[in-house]
Amino acid sequence: MAIAVFIVFGLLAILGGFGVITFRQPIRSVLSLVVVMLSLSVLFLLLSAQFVFVVQIIVYAGAVMVLFLFVIALLGPARVTPRSRLRFQTGLSALFALAFFGLLYAMLQGVQYRQPDHTDLNVFGTVQSIAVGLFTTYLYPFELTSVLLLVAAIGAIYLSRRDES
Amino acid sequence: MAGSLDIGGSQFDVSWFLLLAAALFTLGAVGVLVRRNPLIILISIELMLNAVNLTLVAFSRQLENLEGQLFALMTMTVAAAEAVVGLAILVDIFRVRDLEDIDDLSELKG
Repeated sequence: MAIAVFIVFGLLAILGGFGVITFRQPIRSVLSLVVVMLSLSVLFLLLSAQFVFVVQIIVYAGAVMVLFLFVIALLGPARVTPRSRLRFQTGLSALFALAFFGLLYAMLQGVQYRQPDHTDLNVFGTVQSIAVGLFTTYLYPFELTSVLLLVAAIGAIYLSRRDES
Repeated sequence: MAGSLDIGGSQFDVSWFLLLAAALFTLGAVGVLVRRNPLIILISIELMLNAVNLTLVAFSRQLENLEGQLFALMTMTVAAAEAVVGLAILVDIFRVRDLEDIDDLSELKG
């Protein structure tokens, strides 16, 4: 059962990834990315990461993707370039990507896995266990991310302001 | 085998998840290299960040250690900040001029 879920949503994620890079219309690419994110969230649930699953759906598939859709709607319909200026680069990058994937695959064959820590899997990845980690050991990085978000918000407001002059 | 997982009674190998993440990351890299629309390039970067998140969560489950999931949450925050600033820059550029190809932004070329 779990293997069937993995195969279905893994294939869906791969298909969505192909959609992201092949569709001509940007809006279709964004919707394919939503498919990828939703199937990845199911895989997170399979890996007993419940909190990451919920955050993936709310923050990624919800907020970030809506932001992308807003920008596409703001910029108007896509002006499709009649002919790509890239001639040999496409084939070259496909070759590079194949070589890169081959390297990753070869590396995965020789991975030495450490013996797992023996934690209670019944509470693994729940909101409570994540919160204990975030608010005790990793409190400092957690507070730093709030500074990062503040900087990003101020930067976005500054960049998108209207010129009064 | 040390890399095996027991999920809902089925035997998994953690390398399946890693291989899927590697494939998604490669697709994102191809998107950045091939596509010329700046919006699609940003979307491909998001795809790559998501693939890395899958790797982190898979290792977190295999090692039964929560730190991978915490790091995945940090990655999501950074990705959201990156998307916001990237899109703001893009909107600003589009306000000044029509941009079809990211190679048109070559004013700084010597």
